[in-house]
Amino acid sequence: MLNPLRSEDEAFRFLVRAIAVFVVIIALILILRAVV
Amino acid sequence: MEAASIAHPSAPAGHGHGGAGEHHGPPPANKSSRVEAPLLGMMLFIISEVMIFGAFFTAYFFIRIAEGEPWPAPGMHLPVPVAGVNAAILISSSFTLHWAEKSIKNGNRFGLKAGMFTTLLLGITFEFIQINEYANIGFAPQDHAQQTIFYSLTGLHGAHVFIGLCLLSFITIRAFRGHYSPESNRGVEIPGIYWHFVDIMWLVVYTTVYIL
Repeated sequence: MLNPLRSEDEAFRFLVRAIAVFVVIIALILILRAVV
Repeated sequence: MEAASIAHPSAPAGHGHGGAGEHHGPPPANKSSRVEAPLLGMMLFIISEVMIFGAFFTAYFFIRIAEGEPWPAPGMHLPVPVAGVNAAILISSSFTLHWAEKSIKNGNRFGLKAGMFTTLLLGITFEFIQINEYANIGFAPQDHAQQTIFYSLTGLHGAHVFIGLCLLSFITIRAFRGHYSPESNRGVEIPGIYWHFVDIMWLVVYTTVYIL
């Protein structure tokens, strides 16, 4: 289980996953705005 | 440190705490947790920070959803591309910080110094662009509720970046003075957790304020 508060390494891995999630969210919002 | 291990000259010999070489300083702090104290402190601090940001986001969503106010407010133009580039700058600083931390764990002092210095420069650049954005954005915090919450959320995050920059400055100076080693690098690791937290919060703030 990834705990971002346990070590810098885990915090960084959590950040990378968060980046991936937010890039998808932002891309979806921008695509939906362009289409609708 | 050395003074703490030397017996006090006025202490009577053989009184109370035993013979020569025994610890005569203050007693060690009670350790009731399996997590070491600096890490536990940073964990509790970050958890409290999440609550503070949560309170500010509550105000934001109250204005947008409960009150139904338009976002951004009429006449309020947000510099989305500039803030996006700024987000990329801040996120890249987490990568350089991670490089610095990995470097010192592998005994690479050059990597530590270069990584920390680059992280500090990227963080300063982010803060400078944010201040420049405030100076040129064309509205003030007191104009309307939307403007207030814009400055509150981005300003709260900016304050956290400032605290992070102070910590990064300490680490960078200490790195250039020869501190830290593969065995002793907690001073890099724990502020590193905080810096990654600040970056994650910016992802949330940027998406919420500039994109949604």
